[in-house]
Amino acid sequence: MSSEGDLLHVVTADEISDRRRRFGKTIVWGSAGLMFLVAFLQTADQNGWIDIGFQNWRPTLYAYVLWGICLCAGQVIARGEHGKRSLFVLPATLFVVSMVVFPLLFGLVIAFSDWNLSSPDGRQFNGWDNARQMWSDPFYWNALKNMVYYTLAIIVEYGIAFGLAILLNAEIRARKFFRVAFLLPLMLSPVAVSWMIGKSMLENRFGPISRMLRELGVDNPSFFSSPEVARLMIMLMDAWTYIPFMMIMILAGLQAIPRELNEAAEVDGASAWRRFWEVTFPLMLPVSITAILIRIIFKLKLADIIINVTSGGPGGATDSVTSFIFREYRDRSNVGYGTLLAIFYLILIVIAMTILMKAAERWMRPRY
Amino acid sequence: MKVEHYNAIVRAQMSRRRMLKGAASVSALAAVGGTVPVAALADGHADLRAEILKIPGVGQGSPTDADWQKVGEMTLGPTKERVAEGEFEGVELTFMGLNNQNLHNFLFRGFLKPWEAYTGAKINWVDLAQADYNPRLQQAIATGTVDFDIIEMGAPFEGDTAGKGLLDEMPDWVGEQIEEDDLVGYLKPPVGTWDGKKYRITIDGDCHTFAYRTDYFGEGAIGGAEVPRTWQQVNAVSKDLIGKEDPLTGLPAHGYLDPLKGWGGFGFYFLENRAAAYAKHPGDPAWLFDPDTMKPRVNNPAWVQAIQDVLDLIEAGAYPADQINADPGTTGFQQFLAGSGSMLMWWGDIGSNARTSDTSVVGDVVGFGINPGSDRVYNSQTGEWEDNYNEAPNMAYLGWGVYVTKRVSGDEKKRKAAWSAAAHLGGKDISLWMSAYPSGFQPYRNSHFQFDEWEAAGYDRAFVEDYLGSNADSYNHPNAAIEPRIPGIFQYYSVAEDELAKGYAGQYGSAQETADAIAAAWEKITDQIGRESQIALYKASLGM
Repeated sequence: MSSEGDLLHVVTADEISDRRRRFGKTIVWGSAGLMFLVAFLQTADQNGWIDIGFQNWRPTLYAYVLWGICLCAGQVIARGEHGKRSLFVLPATLFVVSMVVFPLLFGLVIAFSDWNLSSPDGRQFNGWDNARQMWSDPFYWNALKNMVYYTLAIIVEYGIAFGLAILLNAEIRARKFFRVAFLLPLMLSPVAVSWMIGKSMLENRFGPISRMLRELGVDNPSFFSSPEVARLMIMLMDAWTYIPFMMIMILAGLQAIPRELNEAAEVDGASAWRRFWEVTFPLMLPVSITAILIRIIFKLKLADIIINVTSGGPGGATDSVTSFIFREYRDRSNVGYGTLLAIFYLILIVIAMTILMKAAERWMRPRY
Repeated sequence: MKVEHYNAIVRAQMSRRRMLKGAASVSALAAVGGTVPVAALADGHADLRAEILKIPGVGQGSPTDADWQKVGEMTLGPTKERVAEGEFEGVELTFMGLNNQNLHNFLFRGFLKPWEAYTGAKINWVDLAQADYNPRLQQAIATGTVDFDIIEMGAPFEGDTAGKGLLDEMPDWVGEQIEEDDLVGYLKPPVGTWDGKKYRITIDGDCHTFAYRTDYFGEGAIGGAEVPRTWQQVNAVSKDLIGKEDPLTGLPAHGYLDPLKGWGGFGFYFLENRAAAYAKHPGDPAWLFDPDTMKPRVNNPAWVQAIQDVLDLIEAGAYPADQINADPGTTGFQQFLAGSGSMLMWWGDIGSNARTSDTSVVGDVVGFGINPGSDRVYNSQTGEWEDNYNEAPNMAYLGWGVYVTKRVSGDEKKRKAAWSAAAHLGGKDISLWMSAYPSGFQPYRNSHFQFDEWEAAGYDRAFVEDYLGSNADSYNHPNAAIEPRIPGIFQYYSVAEDELAKGYAGQYGSAQETADAIAAAWEKITDQIGRESQIALYKASLGM
């Protein structure tokens, strides 16, 4: 038995011979070499440097799977029980690499390509051309600008959600009913919301809301004609769907606050507002920040309501980045450019979320 | 026939108090319908056509799989002339098509079951929803993974498939079997051909026709004595109607309804309707691009005039409120059929839905015609306007066809089997049944417009003539504006919609600026797809 290393957690005594260790390493490196060789040959065949006649990329995939198996087996063979421990993580890691990291890298390759599905030439590397095109694409920047508006609306949504959560946390009649009722919009598909509300209730001739406004003396009520109103309507519909989500998170947070804290503050003579501002709100900060961050992530994906109700109009006033990329992808089969837009958006989101989380960390520190 | 057309026509007959007459003929037909002997084949050709129209009988509910099989069996004659029994034993084919409204492939299955039993071949089916169809086809093309032998496909995709050598050329015997001379004018070559070779068995037709409110026009009517014949008149009437009251609904009257919002590329067809009259010169098959350079014509004076017409009506306040958010679905179903507006261009759906759709209030006051013309037409060759009357119906989307892919080219037995199956679906007699009953397809042969046959089958002649007449006139027009079958045609339409939306919202200074923006975007797409190949394919699609 080995007398070095982590002896506390080792159960089995492994006496691993040099030969076995060498064999373990050999199959790992051998299969890795085979994988690189196959991948290289396929790349060469694909680019027309040599002619082997591969029909598809499956040989490389099989070589990767073989390498994965050898890598796992090699750990156990070469390292014994320590190797077995790594088996708890290694397959999952390989899976993530093949399902997330590799597609992301592949996506990067596509992002720097000129790839229109209708082009007879197929995918062509075009360097920074897509980025340059993005830089001068008014539709994309307009969509990004709209995303800023949409995201800022979360502050108002948060306020409403907090208010509702406090109401539902209070001792009110039929509290359970209201909790369920307020959750209903969240259960609806945004597509249903866009048809039920955007295309039916807000329909400007026959929609009940338009009729009511006409009754109230508004001439030709119209909800999607002017850019500002159209954007507001999209925000409202999206807010209606997702405020319950924030509300339920905040409600859960509120219920976790020990009642004694508020009672103690009350005994000390704090007013209702002071109790909220000095006790409840600070205690709710971690939950609030989490709710807002998740809501931002949801908001950045906003597309379905826009696609169904306005198609980004009037004149791009309601376009979101996702709905624009959807048109670029689905209607124009512009895979290369669409991917670049998506990757750039991803980078923006990662940067913005990192800054937000760092800032949130600072805010969440107690003020006392 | 599209399901909604069928239901509409059937219900229209009832609503027009022809129930007694209809019921009498229908019951008579039904009495025969269930027991049509296959021996009827032995009778004359006309008899066969009359017999298949009795399956299951007009007004007897939607046909079922048993009916489709019966029709498929009765129309096997042309196949039997060319294929021996059991000739395709052991052949397996894959057929990719749509499953919209449980029609398309569902019908084909029924039609081809007797064909499979007779020839011994077996067909495997790939059913796709409309929304999945385009991406599936595009990906198959782009990644070189065509895994089907027969495909139901729209003519606009011929550029993407035939242009890339993915299709098998149609053998001459197929053309004879399907009696291709019977096709309406605009579906004849160059549609269905590529570089002079034929690839398509047409099974459907499409075009936009003009629908108007009869209560707006006539002596003393608010829209004037005559129905507008030109786009100039359409615009003038639309402006005159501002401030007047709709005679039917009592709400504000409106003239022509332009959709001002995109519709996944399909919205561009509606600007095309206006532009066709100005831009489609009778002496020039091209009207969207210059065929020698692929330079867009969309910013020439003709197209700019079409955009200007729309801007004029926006400026004048002639549209219903919120028009900027109205796509073609809105203008057709929520506006025109609901009593807003008096003139519209649309596919055939409007004509049939007008009379019976629950939300339609215009059933008794709707008339049809072909796309309005223009007092002048722009000649792209000379760069001058010519003061001649010009009209050009817009053949928006060219309908579905059946194609055979290159996968079968190496195996003569398989190839013959594939073409035989496709030809069975495109046969002259089976097509009459498809145009008369719910199938997802519109009439597309001259023989479909023999109204006697429809009347004999139990249809109301006046209605059928009204509904089909405008289609027939558009199809056979000598100056029909034909869709360019080039790769990525919907990409051009889609990007044009985005720019038009900005133009209509006032973000560009003028119609010319809007048109220039579209042209610039089109140039980009052309360069991306490949200018030289697009030129070659555009010319090929125009038969030049």
